Parts: sequence; structure tokens; C-alpha cells
Amino acid sequence: MSTLFHALAADRLKESVVEIRLESSVGTGFTWGFDVVVTNAHVVRGDRVEVRLPDGQMRSGRVRVADRARDLAVLDVPGLGLSAVRCRDPALLRPGEALFAIGHPLGVRHALSSGVLHGLGPLPDGYPVAAELRRRIWVQADLRLAPGNSGGPLADAQGRVIGINTMIVGGLALAVPIVEVESLVRPRAA
Amino acid sequence: MSATLSAFSDQLADAVEHAATSVVSVHARPRLPSSGVHWRDGVVVTTDGTVRRDQDIEVTLPDGSRISAQLAGRDPGTDLAVLRIPPGRLAVAKLGDPAALRPGHLVLALGRAGDRGPRAAFGAVSATAGKWRCWKGGELDLSIQSDLTVYPGLGGGPLVSPDALVLGLNSGALSRPLATTIPVHTVERALDQILAKGYVARGWLGAAMQPVRFSAAMRTRPGIGHEGGLVILSVEPNAPAALAGLMVGDVIVALDGHPTTHPDQVLELLAGDIVGRSLSVELVRGGKSERADLLVGERPRTAR
Repeated sequence: MSTLFHALAADRLKESVVEIRLESSVGTGFTWGFDVVVTNAHVVRGDRVEVRLPDGQMRSGRVRVADRARDLAVLDVPGLGLSAVRCRDPALLRPGEALFAIGHPLGVRHALSSGVLHGLGPLPDGYPVAAELRRRIWVQADLRLAPGNSGGPLADAQGRVIGINTMIVGGLALAVPIVEVESLVRPRAA
Repeated sequence: MSATLSAFSDQLADAVEHAATSVVSVHARPRLPSSGVHWRDGVVVTTDGTVRRDQDIEVTLPDGSRISAQLAGRDPGTDLAVLRIPPGRLAVAKLGDPAALRPGHLVLALGRAGDRGPRAAFGAVSATAGKWRCWKGGELDLSIQSDLTVYPGLGGGPLVSPDALVLGLNSGALSRPLATTIPVHTVERALDQILAKGYVARGWLGAAMQPVRFSAAMRTRPGIGHEGGLVILSVEPNAPAALAGLMVGDVIVALDGHPTTHPDQVLELLAGDIVGRSLSVELVRGGKSERADLLVGERPRTAR
């Protein structure tokens, strides 16, 4: 029996992934620590959010930090009760390594997409995006994302989160390196 | 546990790491660099479409050094361009045999942009077929199409097997929506000619023709023995066809012993290494079977 698939690691990671609901759109978030969720800043507006847990229960959360420049937000969600994700520094990965993402693309809940690490760092000159965005450090993945994946985890073959899926440029999935979250939430809750 | 997947993931990353030792970044157009493969020592191959200038071309090597490269020549027909760099600077690509590829085989696309590490995409072979004449006029020995995304800048980079062998060069320009790969043998064939004379010579007859079927009466005539052939519509002055004495209205029924019922068969014959060879032409003129010898010329370069 082959285990050449993401199902086991994905099943486990899914249990830490939530849906961030606004009136007209959906984003993704994941559990960083005790009652703490991380997502993209562009997924939240104002300081209150509705969070849907994997079992369908709803929770109300408060935006603790929204860093628009890094497009990261940290949410306090009392009664979240989900286990924190495991993380890995994307700088340790090599291009070609298998990756997967969990999110709610176009509202499809907890959908998985799989691919490989394309590269790490700024985008090459000539990519169709503002220079200021192009020059940031990105985890670049050859993997299909859609609106609704924003704020969700990008994970390695063992389900360790390496980045926060943030945008798609030229078909390439771009994620903020997970290490950038650490400077926003310190100290990390157990 | 996902141990098997982790092992496979490591294997893919190993393949990228090994194959990338012969992948360079090519600076031959504004802004976005393309990719290239160090195919033979001192010879880099990339796609013609990404080489927008003939001079001031540079390549960035895997060690990050940026050096100047000279354009050795191009073959727009198969979308290939060849650059020379000083020998001994980096590893030469390890070539595999793309003929073994079947739909479903997993493959990688590699590239390099400037002095950064390799860039990778992963997918599967979608379709394979035999010889394929591209719309740009060249012929690929093998049609390899995959669901790989040839991201901006990945064009000219190699198609790589999970065991790190280069199977061909990925072209963003030859077809859509699937990615097309110029197979190893086509690159080798074009490379020999480009290094020798700067371009790939294609055979030329200098005659326009279209298929025609013989009437039942004609087919029963002695010595005809063919259902139809290619009727000559025009002959260029002093072209090989004219020098062989072919005239408008002649019907070519066989070339070099192969029956001709469609112009593709002629183009296929002319795409190979055929310039300067003599072909025997079987034709029907005025209802009678005749023969001629035709010396294949080289297609004028303005006509390609």
C-alpha cells in the first residue's frame, strides 16, 4: 500500500484551519497558538471577524494585529479550541519539494491543492506586479490557488506550515514566509 | 505516515538540484531573463523566442557569475537559439531519452532567473506523438506536451525527469494551452547545423503543389499505378524543380520511391538532412508516366 499522497498530513492540518467570513467574501486562517489565528490582513476589515471552525461551529474573533505592509493579521478567537499548526522555516526547503495548500477557494471548504516549491525570494524582474510587491521575500509555489485561499497555510509534505498563501501572480502562488509571523506574535503561546 | 511522499519529495528536490547545475539564466531581452541549458561544453541552448537581440547577450551561471555570451545562431523553425560561452565553466547537461515518455509520466520544468537559485514546476506528460511539424516550419522528432506551467522566465529551460535527466527544452511559444518540449534529438540535430553554419538549412524544391486524384480512366492506363499525386501549380525560375525540368501541370506521384498524396509528405522529406541530395521523381505528364532527377536545394533564408 503506497502512501504517496497528502491525505494523512492534510487531514491533520485541516483540523487547524478555519474560515474567515465577511459579508461577501471568504478567507482562510489557521491556528497559531491557544485561541490565536493567523490570516492575511486583506482578509479582515475592521476589528471584528466571524470565524467558522472545521466542525461548522461559529466563533467571534477580534483583530489583535493587522500589518497591511506584510499582509498579515493575528486574531484572538476565544473558545477556538483547535491545536496549533507545526511550522518549518521555508529557507530549509529546496525547489521541487512537494507542497500542499488548504483553503476555501471560491468557497469550497477545506480544499486541498498540491504542487511543488518553485523558488524562494523576490520575483524576477518583469513579473506583472508592482515593484514593491515583487521585491518582497516570497515562498513561490507551483500550485493552484483561487480567491478564498488567502490567509491559508502552505505546507510541506509532512504538513508543516511554511507560508501564508497571499496572492497569485502570473499563475504563481505566493505565500508570506511563516517566519514573518513570529515577529508579529511574540511570545508564541503553547 | 507520509514517509513515501517525503521520499518522493526529496527525490524531486534532488533532481532539481542536480539538473540545475547546467541551467543558466539568459539575458537577451528587456527585463525578464529566460532560461537556458548548458548542452555541450561552452554551448548554451535556449528558445529563439526569448533571444530578442543578437548582441550584448549575457548569461548568469549557477554560481551567480554573470558572463558575456555570443549568439552562434538560431532556428526559428524549431524555436531554438544557440549561445557560446567560455568552456569549462559549469556542468554539461545529462541527457535522457524522451522517446520513453508516456502520458502520465511525472516531469519537472526548470529555470533560472538572474543570480537566484533554480526555479521549478512539476506536472505530468499529457500527450505524446510522433513527428510534429510546428507552425513555425521546423519539425520536432517527437511531440511532447505536458500540463507543466511554463512560468514567465522558465522558457528555454529543460524538461527534467525525476531522475535528473534532461529530456528536452520547454518552449512557451510553440503551442497552447499545453506546454511543448523540444525533444533532445531535435535539439541535437539543430545544434550540429547551427554550430557549423549558424542556421538550420531546410530542403527546397521551389514548386507549389496540391493533391489531385486521377480519373478512373487515367488509373487504368499502363505505367500509372497510382490513385493520384501532387499537381504542380507553379515553379519558381531557376529553382531545383525548374532545373529538373518540372513544369506546371505535372503530377508528382512519388519522390525518392515514396508515393506522394499530400504536401505534408514532401515537407516531411524536406525537413530532414536532405539539402544537396538527388531525388528521383516519378511523375505523370500528359497522361504518360515519366521520371526526373531533382537536386534538392536550400530554402532561401528570406522565405523561412
